[in-house]
Parts: sequence; C-alpha cells; structure tokens
Amino acid sequence: MPSRRSFLAGIAVSGLAPTLTWADAGDPRYLAAARMPDGQFRLFGLDNDVQPIFSLALPARGHAAASHPQRPEAVAFARRPGRFAVVLNCVTGRAVAELQAPEGRHFYGHGVFSTDGAVLYTTENAYDQGEGRVGLWAANDGYRRVGEIKSGGIGPHDIARLPGTETLAVANGGIDTHPDTGRQKLNIPTMQPNLCYLTGDGQIIETMQLATEHRLNSIRHLAVRADGLVAFGCQWQGDLAEVPPLLGLHKRGRPPRLLSGDPAEQAKTAGYVGSVAFSSDQRAVGVTAPRGGRSQIFDVATGALSATILSGDICGIAKGVDGFVFTTGEGLSGAPGQLVQSGTARVSWDNHLVDRQG
Amino acid sequence: MRRLLIAILCVWPVSGVAGPQDLVTTALDRHILPSFQTLATEGAALADAAGADCSVEGEALVQAYHSAFDAWLGVSHLRFGPTEVDNRGFGLAFWPDPRGKTVKSLATLVRDQDPVIDQAPTFATVSVAARGFYAMERLLFEPGLLGEDAAYGCALVRAVATDIAVTTAALRDDWEDRYADTLRQPGSEGSPYATPTEGVRELFKALSTGLEFAADVRLARPLGTFERPRPRRAEARLSGRSLRQVVLSLGAMEALAAILAAEHPAVAQDLATAFAAADEAAARIDDPTLAQVADVQGRIRVEALQQRVNEVRNVVRGQLGPALGVGAGFNALDGD
Repeated sequence: MPSRRSFLAGIAVSGLAPTLTWADAGDPRYLAAARMPDGQFRLFGLDNDVQPIFSLALPARGHAAASHPQRPEAVAFARRPGRFAVVLNCVTGRAVAELQAPEGRHFYGHGVFSTDGAVLYTTENAYDQGEGRVGLWAANDGYRRVGEIKSGGIGPHDIARLPGTETLAVANGGIDTHPDTGRQKLNIPTMQPNLCYLTGDGQIIETMQLATEHRLNSIRHLAVRADGLVAFGCQWQGDLAEVPPLLGLHKRGRPPRLLSGDPAEQAKTAGYVGSVAFSSDQRAVGVTAPRGGRSQIFDVATGALSATILSGDICGIAKGVDGFVFTTGEGLSGAPGQLVQSGTARVSWDNHLVDRQG
Repeated sequence: MRRLLIAILCVWPVSGVAGPQDLVTTALDRHILPSFQTLATEGAALADAAGADCSVEGEALVQAYHSAFDAWLGVSHLRFGPTEVDNRGFGLAFWPDPRGKTVKSLATLVRDQDPVIDQAPTFATVSVAARGFYAMERLLFEPGLLGEDAAYGCALVRAVATDIAVTTAALRDDWEDRYADTLRQPGSEGSPYATPTEGVRELFKALSTGLEFAADVRLARPLGTFERPRPRRAEARLSGRSLRQVVLSLGAMEALAAILAAEHPAVAQDLATAFAAADEAAARIDDPTLAQVADVQGRIRVEALQQRVNEVRNVVRGQLGPALGVGAGFNALDGD
C-alpha cells in the first residue's frame, strides 16, 4: 500500500481531488475511442443513448478502454502492438498516469480492474518468448507496475472479470506476433487459442479449448453475464469457404457451445467478429462483423439467430437500456433503428464500445 | 446537439451491371489461374532438378530454385482460399521468421537424421519452418547446415523440393477444381462470396495486403531504423534475391491492379504511373541483397523504393477502392 505521503503526492501531481466521482464526469454509461475528421484520436464518454458527454484527446489510435470502478479514470490502450496506455481523469481531462510496457512486452489493447479498483490487469505479449502475460498495475499508487502473471496461452487479447468474483477470463487468441514483424502472424500452422480462467495471482483455474476443427478460430473478444456465462467472439484464420461459427458461450466446468447463422448468413461475416456483448435482459448475445457490415443477435437459450442488423462498418456493441446499442466506423451510434450521427462532424467510432455497467 | 436521424440501411447495394463479375473472371483467367499453373510447373521442375542432381552446388538445381521462387512471387499476394488450406501458403513460404525457426528446424532434422523426410506425405507433417522456398534457400546457400552426412543432405534437399512440387500442384488443382468456381458463381452453395462485388473486394484486399507486405515487411525489415539498420533481416538474402522479391511481387500486383482498374481509366493511369515510379526506384538500388541499408547513401535509395510503394498504396486505397465500391471501413480493416 502506498504511504499517506506518496498518496498525497500522487494527488498533487495528478491534480485529482480525492472526492471526484464518475458523477463529476457526467456519469457516462459508455466509453469509446474514435478517429476525428481531422485525423486526431479522442476518447469519448457517452450517455445512455450513446451520445457524447465529453471527449478527451488521445496520443494515437486507441483500441479498448478500461474504466476504474470508483474514480472517474479511464485507461485508454494503444492499438497493438502499442507500448503505452494513458490513464485519463475524465473530469479534468488530464493524464493521471502513463503506463509504459516493460522491456520485452507490449500491450494488446485490453485491460480490466479488480473489483475494488486497486489493480489494473492488462494483456501483454512477452514477445521474445512468444508467450502471453497479464500485467499487474497498482491503480492506487500511480499505476505502478507491480508484477505479471502468465496468461495461459499465446496472444492474449481481451480480458474480463467474472462478475462478483476476482476470477479473470482471458481470450488467448493463439496468434504469435513479434514487434519486429509488425502485425504479421507467425504461427498460424500451430496456433491453439484458448479461453483461460485465472486467479489474480496467476493460478490457472480452467482452460477451455475448442475442438480441433476450430483450432484456427482465434478467440479475441469477451463478454460476461452476471451468472458467469462467458461469450467469446472469434476471428477465423483459415479458408473462409469453411464458414465457421464465430461466437461461443462457455460456462466454467462445461463444454463450450458454438452459435452460428445458416451458412449463407454466416458467410457474410467474412470470418471476422469485432466485438461481443450480452443484451440488457441477458437473454440475447450479439456480435458485430464489420467486414460484413452486420451484427448478429442470438438467443442464448436456444442458440438460434434471432436478428441481423445491417450497418456499414458496425463494430462497437454493448448492452443498452433495452437490448443492444452500437457504434460504427461511419459515425453512427445508438440502438438499432435509432442509429444517429452526433453533431455535424463525422467521427469514426473505433472497435469497442465499453459499457461501464459491465 | 443536433442529431441527424438515419435509418439503418436494410438494403444492401446489389449490382445490376455485369462489371464486377467481369473483373473477377478476367482476374481468374488472366492472372490467378495462369500464375498458379506456372507455379506448379516450376515446382515440378524443381523436384525434377533435385531428383537428377541433389548436389547443392549443382547449377541446374540452383537455377530451378530461382525459377520456382520467381513463380511463387507471382502468387504470393493471393493469400486467400486455397493458399489458406492445409497451411499451403506457410508450407511454401515461412517468412518472416524472427525467431530463426527455419534454420533450427532444418538443423534438428539433420542432427537427428530424422527419417520423416523419406516420404512426401510424412514430410508434409514437419514444421512449416523446415519446408518451402526459404528452407530450400538455407539448404542451398548456407554451407555447413547439412553437416557431414552427404546422403542425408541429399535426401533432405529432395524431400523439400518434392514437397514444394506436391504443394504447388495441390494449390493449382484446388484453384482449378474448386475455388475458381466460388468466385465465378458468387451466391452459389459453398461460395464464401454472396455477390460479385464481394469477389472484387477479396481481390482488392489481396492487392492492398500484398502492397502492405512489400512496404512494411519486405522492405521495412532490413531498413530497421536509421540508428539501427538490419541488413541481415533482408528476405532471401543468402541467395541474393531480396530486391528481386520486391520487384517481382510488385510486378504481379501491378498486373492485378491493372485488371481491377480496367473500367476506370484515370485510376488505371495513376496506378501505372505509381508502379512505374516504384520500378525506377528499384532500378536505382545496386545491391540485390539490400545490404546497402547500412550506409546512408544506399539507405536513401531503399527508403525511396519503400516510399514509392506507399504511394502505390495511396492510389489503391484512395482511388481504386472507392472506384470499385469496396473501400474498406475503419473497423473492417482493423484486424483486431
């Protein structure tokens, strides 16, 4: 724990008054990064209708964000293979801290806080070993690096915490990359993704692997339901003619279920899911497939495709007040049927729409 | 805040003209299928040459290696469909290889005198790092790798060559017997393409990804940074092919780009100009291995080629994509 002196010093440096809460930032429901028309990147706080409350400058293209459970702090991650993340005070707009990936590590673009907000967990690549890591940062001590644990696989991307627990779920996408070769995939022939459940001190509780015929389905993005059901979205690395399922559901201790539309509909996803979310009533699960300009909504109980929503470059998806809300790379945001463009400037909403209510 | 209400687009643009399908058909008949045929022919010739004389000093074998590798560059940008089945693409071309797996895998086979090389079907199960053109390059151009046992070395050279022949033949056959039809008949059962435009988008994506690979990997790897150039990372450096890899792949992509731009003369003209500028920049580079990235004058020339390739990319992204109606979106291109 930080000393009182260092804690106060931290406040002085950050300019953060100890009493600030998310309400002071306008109580945004969602966070999302976007590219502005002038080519700059910003992080937005958005209301229930997915319309902007505030926006803050980002140093480069963002990917996902993590929001501190109590303090109005958002961690914006650079797109992989980024080496930095910035913690923004959403009231003052100032950077509270900058996270620099340690030597030999880079971020993958996702992170999550512990329930009490004391620890930030970040997915990282230990690229000389070609192994995944989860970095641990002391959020109450200036986001100091305090350790790391193995992610249980290669290429960890999204990370979530099972509600009401400290159990972490990590989407180990299985794809080995090295900064020397940019985003080139180095191990497709041998890749083996998994969904790994970990304790905060690095014990592997359970590892879920898909059947051999889905070995090329890179598990990338996660959504968690209140009861611990995990939804995972995949990106297919094989021949698109195989038209694989790209959405799975997993409950610890049980085999996974894979959900798919009929082959004609499924082919239109182009083998690529960008984001995944559960609906507000938790009975539906949705994915976005930006390469197919579509979102697919499935019934959790039956696994059947229940709706398809078409909108160009649709990618962000989250639980809405009623059902789902979306963002698109073409500047639209909102609920299906009410997707609107905010203001006169067209922003390109980036990959993820982060729901602060989980 | 002003809000502009926009209804969701429920109607996907359906092309009523024959345009997009014509482009796909032309690309198949004049670019894709002939190029895979050439690759299979050269792959078979390489196996024949290794069969006739497996000596790594043999001129005929080295020549056959170069010819077959040249043919690969005619299709190395077409990384979709058959190339993605059974690791064929990686089994022919495992590069970049930042962890040096090709040398390690080959050295392990030699050290263990592994009999896995004796049969083509079993050889296809070894690490992709020990297969294909980059493995063949090491065998032919890295003295000492094969060790003392000439018989095993000979068998390994033949195994790699035969495997290349088998894989390139399988690629050609899969294109001719299966995949070409999925592009000719979008919307048919089993086709991953619902419309002709989706086929065009696949070809466009292959072009843009191939150009990205040329600039960001083939050229960027040896360039490294100004403070730390990395000449030893140049592709196929041992056989003196580093610049040739770039030039030949650009040539293949220029052919594809010309087909895609056929109905848009202004775009076609800008593409031709941009590719010609890249050719000129390549012609000013003296060293086939790109080793000159290590000195300031030489480096400028390699950077100039990279810049010209990036200008081709700009035309492709800024003009060709929109002209074809396949400009990819912010998230669709993200790959995360």
